[in-house]
Order: sequence, then C-alpha cells, then structure tokens
Amino acid sequence: MAYLSMGEAHRRITDYLSRFSDAVSSQDAAVLSPLLAVSSNSASLQSLADALNVFQDSNRLVGQLERSSQLAEILSPLLRCIQSYRLGRFADAYVVLEKAANAFLQEFRNWETPWAMEALYTLALEIRLLAEKADRELASSGKNPEKLQGAGSFLMRVFGALAGKGPKRAGALYVACQLFKVYFKLGTVHLCRSVIRSIETARIFDFEEFPVKDKVTYMYYTGRLEVYNENFLVADQKLTYALMHCSPRKEANKRMILKYLIPVKLSIGILPKQWLVEKYNLIEYGEVVNAIKKGDLRLLRQALREHEDRFLRSGVYLVLEKLELLVYQRLIKKIYVLQKQKDPSKAHQVKLEIIVKALKWLELDMDIDEVECIVAILIYKNLIKGYIAHKSKVVVLSKQDPFPKLNGKPIGS
Amino acid sequence: MEDRTGRGRGLGLRPARKALDPSSSIWKPMRSCPARDPKQTSAEAFRERSNPHLDDDDNLRSPNSPYLVGTCPDMCPAKERAQREMLRDLSVFERLNGNPARTSPHLAVKKFCRTISTVDIQESDIRSPPVLQRTLKHLINLVNSEEHPFEVVHDFVFDRTRSIRQDLSMQNIIDDQAISMYEEMVKFHVVSHNRLAMCWGKSDLSSLCHLNIEQLMKCLLTLFKLYDLNRLSRSLHTNEAEFYSFFVLLHLGGKIPKMGDSLSLWYRQLSLPILQSKKMHFARALIRYSQMGNYKRFFCSLEAEASDLQLCLVEPFLDEIRAQAISHVNYSGYKLHPYPLMHLSKILMIKESELEDLCHVCGLETSIDEAGMKALPVKQTKFSLPKSGFRSYCLSAIDDVKR
Repeated sequence: MAYLSMGEAHRRITDYLSRFSDAVSSQDAAVLSPLLAVSSNSASLQSLADALNVFQDSNRLVGQLERSSQLAEILSPLLRCIQSYRLGRFADAYVVLEKAANAFLQEFRNWETPWAMEALYTLALEIRLLAEKADRELASSGKNPEKLQGAGSFLMRVFGALAGKGPKRAGALYVACQLFKVYFKLGTVHLCRSVIRSIETARIFDFEEFPVKDKVTYMYYTGRLEVYNENFLVADQKLTYALMHCSPRKEANKRMILKYLIPVKLSIGILPKQWLVEKYNLIEYGEVVNAIKKGDLRLLRQALREHEDRFLRSGVYLVLEKLELLVYQRLIKKIYVLQKQKDPSKAHQVKLEIIVKALKWLELDMDIDEVECIVAILIYKNLIKGYIAHKSKVVVLSKQDPFPKLNGKPIGS
Repeated sequence: MEDRTGRGRGLGLRPARKALDPSSSIWKPMRSCPARDPKQTSAEAFRERSNPHLDDDDNLRSPNSPYLVGTCPDMCPAKERAQREMLRDLSVFERLNGNPARTSPHLAVKKFCRTISTVDIQESDIRSPPVLQRTLKHLINLVNSEEHPFEVVHDFVFDRTRSIRQDLSMQNIIDDQAISMYEEMVKFHVVSHNRLAMCWGKSDLSSLCHLNIEQLMKCLLTLFKLYDLNRLSRSLHTNEAEFYSFFVLLHLGGKIPKMGDSLSLWYRQLSLPILQSKKMHFARALIRYSQMGNYKRFFCSLEAEASDLQLCLVEPFLDEIRAQAISHVNYSGYKLHPYPLMHLSKILMIKESELEDLCHVCGLETSIDEAGMKALPVKQTKFSLPKSGFRSYCLSAIDDVKR
C-alpha cells in the first residue's frame, strides 16, 4: 500500500461524506447506492477504507460537517463498517452495518417519496451478504452464528416499512425475495409463510405492478415451496411462470428453475426432451427420464442412488421416488405391446408371472404377491385400466386405452 | 474438570461445563453470559432469535440470566415436598402408605412448573445430574408397573420428565449425560405413543396422544442438537441413526401433526452419513412403501428390519395401511373371484378374524366361499375409512402362530 498522508486521508473521508449528503439532499439514489455497497469492493470504497485506517477519528469529521449531522447516525457506523470490512472483520462489520441500516430505514420512512428505493435495495442486499460472511467467520471460530437470523429480522422491518398503501410498496417484492433467500439459507422456511400471505392475500399489493425481475424470483421461491409441500399443480404454474419470464440471457437462473420444474413435470407425466436436459447440464434427470421411457426400474433406482445426495439437498428426492409407478406402468405396457405382436387376441391378458419374470430379467427380485400389489395400485390410481383375476393370477386389461396418460393429474394424488 | 466446547449453534448455548458434585463444599460463583447487544435483550428479540425447531418451552432461562448449578440432593426439593404435603397435592405414586398428605424423599418427584419469572429460582431447588439420573431411573421403573391404568402412569411420568428437562436446561447440561437422559425420555414417549394408541375406546386419550407426540418431537429435536454439540469426529453416536429414524416414522400417515415443515425440507439439512444409515434407509423406505401403497413390501420389511422401538411407533399406523390395502384389493379385483381373506391376512400380518372385522369397520361385507373359507367380495362400492379411527390390531403372523 502506498504511503497515505493524513491530509490525503482527511480529504478522502470528507469527500465521501459530502457526496453522501449531497446525494441525499438532491434525492439522487443512483449516486447514493454505490456509496452503500460495502461488499462491492469498489476502488473508491477501498481507498476510503485505507483512509479510515490512517485517520482514526472519523466520528469527529462526521459531526463537524454541518449538513450531515442528521445523517450522522447513518454515517458513523457506516464508516466503521467499511473499515472493518476491508480488514476482513466481518462479524464486526455486520454489527455496525445493521446500526447504519436501521438509521437509514428511519430516514427512509420520513422521506415522503420512494426516491431512495434503489439505495434501500442495496442496503438490503448488503445486509444479507455481510450476515452470511459474518456467520461463516463466527462458525469457523467456534462461535454461535446468529447474524443471518438478525438480518432476517432487519429485513422484516424493511418489509414492514414498505407494506403500506403509498408508492413505496413497489419495493416490497424485492425485499420479500431477500427474505426468502435468508430463510432458505437458514432452513427456517416456514417463516416465508407470513411474507407470502402479505404479498398474496392482503389487499395491499397488486402483483402485476412489481418489476418482472422480482416477480420471477418470487415465483421461483414460492414454486420451490410448493414442490416441498408436494402441491405439484401449483408448483408447475409458478415455476413455469418464472421460466417464461426469465430473461433469456440468464442461463444460470433458467437452470435453477429447471432443476425444480423438471421433477414437477415428471410427476404430471410430462417428459423433458433430451436436448433440454443436455443444454442445461441436468444430466441426473436424463437418466431418470430414460428409465421412465424404457420402463426400466433398475435404471431409476440406480439414478436415485447415484445422485442421492444432490437430490436430497435440493429436496426433490421424494418427488422422484414416486415416479416408480410410471416406470411400472411403462414396463407392463411393453409386455402388452410384445404380446399384441405375437397374438393380438390374447394380448389383453397379462399373466402376473410374466411381470415377475420381466423384473427378474432386470435383476429385481419381486414375488408374485408384490407384483399383484403393485398392479392393484396402478389400477387404483388409474394408470392401468382393467382388473386382476386373483385365482388365475392374471391382469385383464381393458380393450380400450388400457394405459391412460396422467393428463396433468399428479401421480400419487 | 474438563471444559468441553460445544459449538452452540442456534440454541444460544455456551461451552458446556459439567455440573458440580453437590457434595463439594466450595461455593462456585455463577458464570454470567457475555454482554449482548442491548437491542437483543428484549423478549421480542429473543423470540425472533430462537429457532422454533429448537424451542423447548421448558427453557425458561432468559438470555441474560446466568447458568445455575443445582445442589438439590433429592428427587424433589424439601421445600416443595413440605408445601405439597400441606396442600395435599401428591400424586398416587408419591404417597407414603397411600396417605394423601404424606410423602418421602424416596417417593416425591419435582413437578414441572411453568413459572414466569426466573428471579426466584434457587440452586437448592435444582437437581444435579446424578440426582436427575436417579430420578429418571425411578420414573422409568414406574412405567412398567401394572398397578395403575397406563394413562395415569403416563400422565405422571410425562410431567416429571418435563421437570427433569427443565433442570437440565437451566444448568445448561449438554454433554453425554444429557444425551443418555434424553434418549431414555424419548423411549418413554415412544412406548407411550404405542400404548396410548392401543387403549382404544377410551375417549379422552386422543388429546393425551396428541400431547405425547408433540413432546416426543420436541425431545427428539433437542436430542439431535445434543448429538451435534457432542460430535467428536465425523462419526455418529451409537443410537443416533435410530433416533433420527423415529422422527421419520412419525410422518407415517396423515393424522400425525408435523412440526411445520415437510420431510423433504428436513432432509436438506441432514448430513449424508445419517441419511444413508441403515436405520434411516429403513424408515425412509417404509414411508415410500406406505405412500405408494405397496403393502406387501411394507409388512415384509417391517417384520424383517424393525427394532422394538421402531415397531412401537409404527404399530398404531398399521390398520390404516391395511385399510388402504383392502381398498385397493376391492377396487382392482374381479367380480367372480372374491379375495381369500386367509391369503390377504398373511400378507398384512394380521389374524384372519381381525382382518374380517377390519373389512366390516370399513363398510365392506365378507362372505364364505365354496370351500368354506372366508373371502372378500370385490367391487363393493361402500368402502369408507372409519371416522373414529382404528382399533390398532398388532403385527401378527398367522393365527396362533408365534412370530
């Protein structure tokens, strides 16, 4: 680091303070936001941090600058945050950032127009990012990582400030999404419920008013929640919305959406095309799709075993497990088709023993009772039309459409 | 005395310190919590901070009060004994020679008390770990006594074990002793779950059942945290996998109230060694079979793999899956082939006569075929699940043949 004189340090700090208070008085959010973006590591913030290390008494400077005495509550802790961040002391940096953010929120409430919305967004994002860093730091030194939880509380306050009738409410969805990210990370996903209720059922918001970007993020997270709760039809709606309105350039985001949408589609009997799976590098689903197409139960189980960790982490494992029924259906259909080729008049009668043999050929050991049980399930769930003649150990298929498609009805319902 | 640092995530717990031997004559000063951000001392902040999953409402200690070190040498503090004698507030298990106004240090057990203020709690009211272990042993022995109806025993042990957990938490005991005590208490709740469900016909039990499950889940979640805090290497504790499997098995069927999130969400947070352990694989498989309706595999693997405690948890659910099986068989069968009950009863591991009863309870008629064997005519339209629940027939092989 090049030598920094006291004079130069003093100049940098007062320069920053002036820019900040000028931005506030001229209500210029575009200028204000980068001044708050602590983790952006911009050159100007870094040089400011260096200055703060040299010139230790920044509080006095803040107090001195007449115009910024109102903003002192924001600026003093903010400067300490910038300094701590540069020194890599994230837990300390978070604590002072929260102080600054609370003070900022106070002022934001008092400003009549939502001019500072972009700056508030920046702060909301910074709070979350810094809390995550702080928790990592705390956990690695054996301490209790509770900063992200605190960030959640702060963001709820922000949300509350925006959930009103005025023009400020357009920002609520962005903050809601930040909250979702926090809760998903913490695993306290049930806390999303009250946020969702505010957005969707309280009469404050008109969903269409929100920016598209935020709507996509919102639908992505709420869609995921529906997947966890196995409401596949709603999940399909939300995730499809997110996919369709996602910006075409954001390939990574599309992949994230597809990661959840594909299992949902599979549950309602819709198979993705191979090129889709390949384009977005979702190979693990490729094997699942293959298994369903071929009626190969062994392949499905193998895929589930091989990618167990990944599927469990993303929470789709239980969804994919249910697809076994589709695989059974396909297997029996293949047997039926083969029989039809040999002798069309007798094809609709499938001996349970044949199914046992077919499964044995796939190295799966199932006795005739279990096969009968599975066929009974398939009939019950309308994946097979027909009946089981128990005494003759035969399943008699309906002559018309013996293997109905799911038609949008989720499997397992 | 060695300090063991617990990582203390989420519970806001400090590094563990084994509780002192009450016979020690040295007065150890109370350790206070490190100073906190003033914003976080209000009750509201505390509620926001605490993770609902871990919230043991028996933990009354406010974040600012210091940890206590219990010195009470009896199962019940003398003060409380005297007070309850005077008020004649003694449970049947605490009465000396049946006298409702007399107890003894060997019979009285400290009650659970949901006090609002922690200011008045004295160390002489709190039992040290050795005393708590002795108390727990005494309570568990009572569970096996045949003298009183099970609900009465359950009620008493339920309350008194809650008090034990309260004492543990006030002293912040989170080491191996806590683990073994929590495991014992979970076992009590598991056995209770089974026995309360089997006491069919007594109307008031459903709320007892419900409360028991609630408490069982709370204990399990705290136990899981304890396992984490005491983890030495990456290996699991001896019983850890089995106790995790209990949590999974509680999700069988829809009636049982869940603690908020779905299983999918819960699995996300678990480590792979736990998820892939034998016990967990078994529990996860059982859920899969039950949801799919694969009653054949369900009963086969249950018989082959379930531990006694796992079976305790699953047994109350068996009739629901049997009813589902009956429903499937009825729907998918051939009108001219009534389904033989003997055959089905073997698969469903129930006595043939009980299966017949179950069919009737579900609104279906049974018949006798040409060979004189009982059968279920299929394609009946009046199937319905009984509104008042099931009688809970146990797991049995064939009539009169021991498993």
